[in-house]
Amino acid sequence: MYDDIYRRGSINRPPTPDAEDDQIQEKQLTFQEIIDIKLIESGEKERLKELLRERLIECGWRDEMKALCRAFAQKKGRDNVTLDDLVQLLTPKGRASVPDSVKAELLQRIRSFLASAAI
Amino acid sequence: MSNEDNLSPHAQGLSLQLSSHFFGDLLDSIIVDVASECHRIARLGLDRNLEEEEEEMRLSAQARLRVADPSNSSEANGKYIVDIFGQNHPSVASEIFECMNCGRSVMAGKFAPHLEKCMGKGRKARLKVTRSSTAAQNRNSRGSPASAYSPYSNSTSSNRLSNGTSSVAGEEYSNGAFEDP
Repeated sequence: MYDDIYRRGSINRPPTPDAEDDQIQEKQLTFQEIIDIKLIESGEKERLKELLRERLIECGWRDEMKALCRAFAQKKGRDNVTLDDLVQLLTPKGRASVPDSVKAELLQRIRSFLASAAI
Repeated sequence: MSNEDNLSPHAQGLSLQLSSHFFGDLLDSIIVDVASECHRIARLGLDRNLEEEEEEMRLSAQARLRVADPSNSSEANGKYIVDIFGQNHPSVASEIFECMNCGRSVMAGKFAPHLEKCMGKGRKARLKVTRSSTAAQNRNSRGSPASAYSPYSNSTSSNRLSNGTSSVAGEEYSNGAFEDP
């Protein structure tokens, strides 16, 4: 019964005014941003993240990262640890310790997607 | 992959660059997830148990090695048996504590025979009980030690009596003839 109202409402509603309307130019999306949107909308980004997460658990990377955090927390004191501390701790080591095979697998998947979506 | 054969070198280079970028994105996102989880664990102190468990596992692995070592025979070593933690146990338990029935100090390894006499199961104890004036004691002393115990205990720990009221425990030892033969 309400379907009509809903449908009419969504069609007839005026577009949300853009904050950039006063600017002369519209913001151009970079190619990268366009690809990002396609990745997200297709669900591929989520699938890729899950795949990467799974591989990183399998190879022990996640356990290594957790051990690093534990050691850091012991030294600095449990209550003095901030999230930022841990992110700064893990980012260089995390990026450096991803196994080559895992990285290669993910890169391959991404490039396949790019090839199929970029056309 | 075969899709890429149709791309120009420029496009292929772009593809490499972009895929690296997106890979980094995914990795950073996962790093934040792990950091966030570890932050929570650290602040809530949830890894305290983990440290204890890890220590336990280390100890038990060591102990297992010691047991597997053939130079550590168990029964062949006479009265000392080595357990998996490398501890020796004497054949008679030597810890001393208070008997909760009569209040005497007893050795753990000699507690069972003590209790037999203390609670009225043994021959000497039963003889003494029949000399007592209270009829209830006679009835109870023939039953299980558990039933003899409950009517007369007025505290959960020691039953040392200060006044002269009759009881199974108090009366028996006034003559002092209780020690192990």
